[in-house]
Parts: sequence; structure tokens; C-alpha cells
Amino acid sequence: MRAPNGADTIAAIASPPGPAERGIVRISGPAARFCLGQLFQAEAGELSGERGLWSGRVDDGRGTQPALVVWMPAPRSFTREDVAELHVPGHPALLNAVLTAVLRTGVRLARPGEFTRRAFENGRIDLSQAEGLLAFVEAAQEAECRAGARLLDGGLARRVAHLRAGLEDLAALCEASLDFDEADTQDVATDELLGLARDRTQELAAALGWEVARQPPGVAPRVQLFGAPNAGKSSLFNALAAGAGCSSAAIVNPLAGTTRDSLHALLALGGGREVLLADAPGLEPGSGVADVRAQELAADARRSADLVLWVVDARRGVVADELDRERQFLTRPTPVVLVWNQTDRVDAVELGARGAWMLRWSLAGRVELALAPGQAAQGLEALRGAILNVLFGAGESETPSAGLARELFVRHRRSLEEAAQALASASQALAAGQALDLCAEELRDVVRALDGIFGRTLPEDLLDRIFARFCLGK
Amino acid sequence: MAQSAPGEEGPELAVPRRAGCNAGFLAPMEPFAQPAACHPHPRPSVERRAAAAYDLVVVGAGHAGVEAAAAAARLGARVALVSFRLDRVGEMSCNPAIGGLGKGQLAREVDALGGLMGRAIDATGIQFRLLNTGKGYAVRAPRAQADRHRYREEVTRTVRATAGIELVEGGAEALLVEEDGRTGRAVVGVRLSGAREVRAGAVVLTTGTFLQAIMHTGESTHAGGRVGEASSGLSSELAALGLPLGRLKTGTPPRLARDSIAWEALSEQRGDDEPWPFSFATEREHFPVLPQVGCHVTATSKEAHEIIRANIDRAPMFTGRIQGVGPRYCPSIEDKVMRFADREQHQIHLEPESLETDVIYVNGISTSLPADVQESFVAACPGLEHARFLRHGYAVEYDFVQPSALDRTLAVRSVPGLYLAGQINGTSGYEEAAAQGLIAGANAALWLADREPFVLERHESYVGVLVDDLVVSQPVEPYRMFSSRAEYRLLLRQDDADRRLVARAHAIGLADGAALARMQARVAVVVRTRALLDGLRDASGKTAAARLLRPDVSMLDLEAELPALRALELDPATRTTVEADVKYAGYVERQLRDVERMRRDERTPIPAELDVSAIRGLGTEAREKLVTLRPATLGAAGRIAGVNPPDVALLAVHVEKWRRERTQPV
Repeated sequence: MRAPNGADTIAAIASPPGPAERGIVRISGPAARFCLGQLFQAEAGELSGERGLWSGRVDDGRGTQPALVVWMPAPRSFTREDVAELHVPGHPALLNAVLTAVLRTGVRLARPGEFTRRAFENGRIDLSQAEGLLAFVEAAQEAECRAGARLLDGGLARRVAHLRAGLEDLAALCEASLDFDEADTQDVATDELLGLARDRTQELAAALGWEVARQPPGVAPRVQLFGAPNAGKSSLFNALAAGAGCSSAAIVNPLAGTTRDSLHALLALGGGREVLLADAPGLEPGSGVADVRAQELAADARRSADLVLWVVDARRGVVADELDRERQFLTRPTPVVLVWNQTDRVDAVELGARGAWMLRWSLAGRVELALAPGQAAQGLEALRGAILNVLFGAGESETPSAGLARELFVRHRRSLEEAAQALASASQALAAGQALDLCAEELRDVVRALDGIFGRTLPEDLLDRIFARFCLGK
Repeated sequence: MAQSAPGEEGPELAVPRRAGCNAGFLAPMEPFAQPAACHPHPRPSVERRAAAAYDLVVVGAGHAGVEAAAAAARLGARVALVSFRLDRVGEMSCNPAIGGLGKGQLAREVDALGGLMGRAIDATGIQFRLLNTGKGYAVRAPRAQADRHRYREEVTRTVRATAGIELVEGGAEALLVEEDGRTGRAVVGVRLSGAREVRAGAVVLTTGTFLQAIMHTGESTHAGGRVGEASSGLSSELAALGLPLGRLKTGTPPRLARDSIAWEALSEQRGDDEPWPFSFATEREHFPVLPQVGCHVTATSKEAHEIIRANIDRAPMFTGRIQGVGPRYCPSIEDKVMRFADREQHQIHLEPESLETDVIYVNGISTSLPADVQESFVAACPGLEHARFLRHGYAVEYDFVQPSALDRTLAVRSVPGLYLAGQINGTSGYEEAAAQGLIAGANAALWLADREPFVLERHESYVGVLVDDLVVSQPVEPYRMFSSRAEYRLLLRQDDADRRLVARAHAIGLADGAALARMQARVAVVVRTRALLDGLRDASGKTAAARLLRPDVSMLDLEAELPALRALELDPATRTTVEADVKYAGYVERQLRDVERMRRDERTPIPAELDVSAIRGLGTEAREKLVTLRPATLGAAGRIAGVNPPDVALLAVHVEKWRRERTQPV
């Protein structure tokens, strides 16, 4: 059963990411109570309306788990709305399952900062507190962007984009028939719409199949190599990868701009911590079409990274246009570790001068400094230490964006499920001979459901599709 | 109509001040009807208002101008309506028709708000059709062919008969801009040709396609916005005021002589057997007024397309001579032929422009090809082999003002006293123009009278959707209404525009008492019929209302079966309203919940003084759009492409911070 006022109610994982003893799923809004009623069975007695703590079992759709429920009716809660917290064993997969079950009752996934916005608007927290949380929203939006990019890695973006195009076409076809003369649109027949809806239903089912088969992504944080062509990125990649006992290796060629494709290696850094090390093509603008594409790939990779290793050839220092290029990323909160390469070939005094200059600049740019003289073993060791320190310094076993990627994964799957439900309902309306404007309403719901993956489809977007397809206008 | 009387503070209105405008009739709408808008400027000083001969001067007497003048006059303002030529008031520049998909709904709303358009077309229509009858109540739309001469005469007559409007012939050459101690630099009137000055409290510009207008026919170009009429130089005045201008293009098809067309070869399209009037005021017994005629349908041919293709290098749009962008929903025939090369023919509607004259409007082949090419490709179309041209088609390029310079009262945000409506705002169509004219004229009058602005919301009306879309848009083609632009489309049916809007219009004086009484009487019948439908049960205990939910059961079926329903003697309009109410109830409830959810954001204004560019954490695109488009509310911000929910959340916190800092001084 779905909550009647579910869309006003939001839920999210509220505990820090990564394995822990306990994890928390928080639900806020008018349907919180309804949602609990659907999923939670108290051990003794019934949930009363009173604020309190209950132990029992929560049904995540595949089985039941022991859970503790904290019930905080409005207004005595963080958001001043009804709030329920489900405390369950802190395994990420389990938390995801519980969150998915919660969303299936009709509540929706909270956006970054949404609990805070409610708390602020309902007068629960004051301005200074809200302002303190603004930085969080900024960082979270950035992290979500990164996680989203990674979620659609590896060809999935293309497949899902195809699916979206098909569903938007269907909605646009229906809208065209409502907004334009029959002579222009050759009056779209219900049969045609139904046939298209059937095809799209199959594609959606297939897409849901991939999603179910897929593992939640992004557990290992991504460490991206970055730097001028021939700064020694590939040598560094090979050295780090070799040290980690990894077979994958980049082709190293002394000609600038040799590395064209991204290479990945999983590095174990000790203490059970793993990172995904990615090499990127050298940035060398203006050397042909293929290279333009490579530059784009590099920029994308740079955006989706949790940590950037900026490799600088100590003999050359930082080139001016490289600095310019870096500026576009500077507002982003991604940490950067600056790696001086080939330091053994540079005079120590000169290096010191460059280093000092670099440090001054780095204060503005959140750059951490690590020296890796050549490929000497102790340099590599220092670098590994720096990576560990930056990514896991707070003692957490995974990064916030990895946690977000999993949350997005849930949203992704949920969007596809909702689109499938809405499409089924639209097909039913079409088959029953409902008025076309009502069928169109159902199809609008299909497109709205996809917004959870892609961002919004605007009326203009549908009109663009209509104009591209039909010759309109008397 | 209330006439202005001199008072202590200069001319005042007889209508009560600050009358609330949240008198929506439907109970579920009431909570949201309060506008989040206010006038963007303090009103002019007493001295200035006293010194002006008029409250309002409206420049341009097309579909926007006449509605602006009439709406302001209904609110008690003294209006000067300025036009190049007083014999062109209410002229149909292009298509001799009112309504159509999306537009018919707008025309019905303009009528419910007391506008002229609906009554004028009912009096002068020569073919009426209700479109989309097979596709659902929310997308049905009326359309009518007009006798364009009689339409213009009818509008002119109505305007002349409206107390408070004075017609002034002349071309507006400049805006009078003066410093006012109260508002700073403000527009205080216009200067006409011959150095005549018309002073007023506010100016509404409805200059259509006349700003820096250039007409193109093939290689030849003329300055001017319509055949035989000059273009206006007001653009430079607007640019000097700092308003952002853009350029658009539109076109018109050839007109042919009636006696030169081989009619017998063509199929005829008749109007509806039982035509529906546009206006809620028109009585069906006396309708239609004029004899009804058919239109005829033909099509282009392969040969015609070849002629166009062979001469495409002479089309100004393809030679790059035309810079403005034309509408994709109403492309020229050369555009259709080039973009849809696989189509062997395109439909052409031959529409009589009048009962008396011999002019036939050739709908479907708007073109700016050279005259000789027009003649040869038209001759290649069936039935038009010997057609005689009365006028060739042409394209018009013109300046418009980026509508993001306006607020939802259609006032220019940066200059007090200036309102814009119609094509000057980058829109297309008589109905879109009329709706804007009404809103601009009414709000200018309300501003001068120190009364609350009149702003309609997206869930109440297409007028609201239109204005709301415009003020955050950057048109790349003329904006036209489509039902798909309305997210609450199912709430905005054409059959119940009166129920949605008359009470609100009446509360401020836009609609008269008779209109209110008519609407209330109709709604009373709807309510009584619904009660009956809920009470009448068949043998299995199912109510008549429940049976009506089935797609294949109609009110007529139930009336045939149930004497109690028959006894109500429903008129067709009310029957439709009841039927739609019952069949759409579930969906309507869902949409009302969506409206409720959006309510807080829609009603939270973003103060003009808030420095959006200084907010840390906004996405780059979001920041740019928010700074350029300056949405008035959080809701409007959320509708802009590129502004995401976290951006709105961030904005919400800053808006609240701004508000608290100012309401609780430290």
C-alpha cells in the first residue's frame, strides 16, 4: 500500500557511510507513521502516538531484520514534523534494502539539505545553524554530481539515455496529438500509442533487470592522476600499480600525449583500504580531434574523482596554462595532492623555491603537498600515506561520495520502478479508451518519474521533440 | 462603469481600495488564491497624477491595446488609446480567426475576465468549430473564422462606447521620461507625431510587430510592420531605458481573389451544426449572428515543392537576409518543404476573410519568397491554377523586449510607469496578446489607484501560465500557448473558465454583476445536478455518478434513462461541465494536491534587493539564470531549466534570512 500523502514525506540514510555497528534510515513528514505501520512490527505491544523507542523487526521486502524504532511525533523532532528513525545493523547492503522498502511505501528520497531546509523553515533551527549547514549543501551537491557521473559510467549512460528518449517520444507524441491539428500530426492513433507503450514497457523491464543485477557502485574511492603531458603520470601509475601487485599497466612513451585511454587499477593501501587509481590522458590542447575528445574525458574524470593526484614535472614546474586549467576545478571541494615528480633531477635549492611558490598558491586551492622524488621507494610510501590520510583521515572506511553513489543507486532503481508503474497505468488508460488528455496525464507521470535519474524534462523539451518530428502549422 | 471623481489625492476610483482578490469561487482553490505579487514601484506623486490629462495612455489599438484600455476603463481609469490609424482599431493583421488549440482556452478566459474578444467574435464569426472533441474535456478548444472587417468594426464600436476611453490618432515617437521625487526616473506619457504630448500616470506599450520592423518579399525589403503602415522607432527609446531587446520574425501568406479559385474541385469543411459561442454572455438563441460559411481545403503538390526548391536561394530566410527567428509551430512553406523533404504535399485551408469582400486567406503557405515565385508555386496547387493574387505573402522582422524585464503585473521592473503587452513581449497570436493586454491594463490602473495587483496563478488559468512563463523566459521564437505548457491542464478546461475566474474578476471590478449572476446561476445547476447524480442509484446500488465514470457512458445516456435528470433541462454547456467534473474528479484531486505541495514555494517572493549572485553554493548555471531572469518567487525559480532543488533550498534559506534581517532590526 502506498501512502496517500507520500510525496510530502522524505527519507534518507542518516548515518555516516560505511560499515558500522548501527545504521539509521530517517523518515520525516506526514506519512512517516503510515510508513512505519507498513514495515515495522513491534516486539511487544503497538506503537503508540507517544514519543518513544520500540524494538521489533522491519520488513525490507526480502526478509525481516531486527530493528529499533525511534518515534518523534511533531513538533518535537529535528524537522518539527513527524520523524521516525529506523536503527538497523549497519551493513550498507542492508541499509539500502530498508531504504528501498521505505521508498516503496510512497515516500521519496530526500535531496541534499532537505531535512535541514525543513528544520529551518519550521523554525526548529536558527539562522546561524542553517548557515552552518549551507557549506554542507554545497559539498553534497558537488558530491552528488560526482557520484551521479560515476553511476552512469561504462555505457550505462547511453543505454539509459536511449530509454529516456523513447519514453519522452511517447509522451511527446501524445502531447502533439492534443496540441496540434489532426491534419498536421496525421492524428496519432490510440493503437500506435499503445504499441509504443508496449515496446517501452519491455525496455523498462530490461533496464530494471540490469539495475537489479548491478552491484551498488563506488565503494572504492577514485583517485585520479592529473597533470601536463609527459609529467610522468603513467610512470607513477605503473609504479603504484606494480607495488600493489596489479597487472594492468599503461603504455609509457616519452613522446608527450601518449596515454589516450583511461586505465584503472585497484590499489590496496593497507588496513583493508582500497582505492581505484585511474590514469588519464595527458592534457595537451589543440592537437587534433581525437585529442579534443581525450581532453573532455580527462576533464570528466577530474570531476568525478574523490582525490586528485596532480603530477608536476619538477624540472618544469607548473606551466601557466596548466594553472589556468586547474582554476575551473578550484571551487570544487575535491582534495588535491600535489606530486613533484623527477625531483632527483633538480637542484634542491631551485626545487625549494618552486615549492615555496607552490605552497603559497596552494593555500587558496586546498592542495596538500607530498614529495615523490623520482620513483624511489620511500617517495611512493609517502604518497600512499598521503592518499590514506586525505581519504580516510577521519577514520572512516569510505568517502561521502561513495555513500551517496549508493543512495543515488537506490533513487535510480526507484525512478525506473515508478516509471514502469506509471507506464502500466497509462497503457491501461489507453486500452480502456480513456480520454486522451487523461492518458497524457499518466504519460506525464512517466516522464516525471525519470526526473529522478536525469533531472527535469520541461514542456519545452517535449515541444522540441514535437517540432523535430512533425511539420506543423497551417 | 465607475467614473473617476476628483478627490483629495487626485483622481480616485469608485471601487473600494485594497479589495481582496482571493474570492475564488471553488472552495479548494481558495487557500492558494492569494497572490505573492506586489506592484514593483511606489505609485506616482499626487502632483504628477493631477497634472496628467489621463491615468493611462495605451499605445497601439490591436488585440492587446484594446483589452488593456478596456480593462483599465472598467476599473475606473481615464484612458487615452493611441493608434496610427483609427480605422484599424482591432485589426486582424494575419489570420481572420480567433481561438484554436491552447488559444481557444485563453480567449474563453479573457471573456470570463470581462474582455472584449469573446463577444466580438460571437457577433462577427462566420464559422464556429469546437476542436479536439474526441480527445478529452481539458483539451477541447473553440475556434472561429471571423469576418475581419466586421470584427474590427465591432471592436471599434465597443471601444468607442466604453466610458473612460478616448481614441487618439497618431504615431508614438518618444516616451516622456521625467524625474519624480517619489519614484525617481519614470515614464509619464508619450510624444506623438507633430510634437503632441499625451501625459498620463502610466503607459502601456502594445506596439505589436512595429518596432524597427522590416518586411521581406524575396529580395525586396520595406520598412514597416504591416502592409501600408510605417514602423516605429520606439526601440531606441526602450534601449535607452536599459531594456534588453531581441529580434524575431513572423510571416503571412498570400491573399487570393475568390472568383479566381476553382472551388468545385475542392472539398469543403463546414462549421459545427450546433455552434458554441465564445462568450459566456452570448445567448445561444441569438447565435450565430452572421450567416455561416464553409472553408475549403486543398494542398501543395510535388510540382509546387520543386518550384520552391529551385528558388530557395531567393528566400530571405535562406540567404541570411532575415536574422530573426521564426516560429516552429507556424513555419513558412519554404521551411516546411526544406525541412520535411519527404512530404509530397502540405495542406492548405482557403478561408474567406469576409462575407462581403472577395479576399481569401490562404492558410498554410506563409512565405517570403519573391512575388513571381509565389505566383508560380501557387498555380501548381489544385484549384489555384488561375488564382489571382490580391496581396503577396511576406515576412516581418521586428524588435521585441526580453520579457524577463517584466514582473507578473507586466510592469517593467526597472522603470516605473511602463507596462508592455502583446508581441512586443516576444509572443505570437491575438489571444496571447489580448490576455496580456488585459493583465497589463488592469494592473496599471490598480497601481495608480493604490490597489492590490491582479495576478493569476498557473493552476487557475492559462493567462497565469502565459504571464508566469513569459517573465522567466528568453524567447528564441515567438511564444505561443500550448496546453502542454500547463502542468495543471486538467484544472483549466475551457467549459468552466467562468467558474474559475468570474468571481475574482468581479471582486476587483473587471467583470460586472450580470456576469457574476450568470456564473452563479450556472454553478448552482451544476451543484444540483451533481447531488442528483450522487443520489440516483440503479438496481445494483450503483450511483449515476459512478456509472458516469465509465468512458463509454455520457450524461445524455443517463438523461435518456432517468426522468429526474431530464427534468433539469440542462443546456449543453452545463451538461459538459457536469460530465467533465464527474469523469475527471480523481485526476483533479491529484492535481490539487500537487498545487498544494507547490503552494509554499509559489507564495514565497524572492525580494528584488536580494543579491542572488552573492549566494555561495549555487550551481554555476543556476546562479547565471537566477541573476538574468530574476524569478519573482521560489516556485518560479524552480521552473527554470538549470535551477535544481538544492539550489531552491539554498535560495529559500537566504530569502528567509533576508526577510528576518529586515523585519527584526537588530
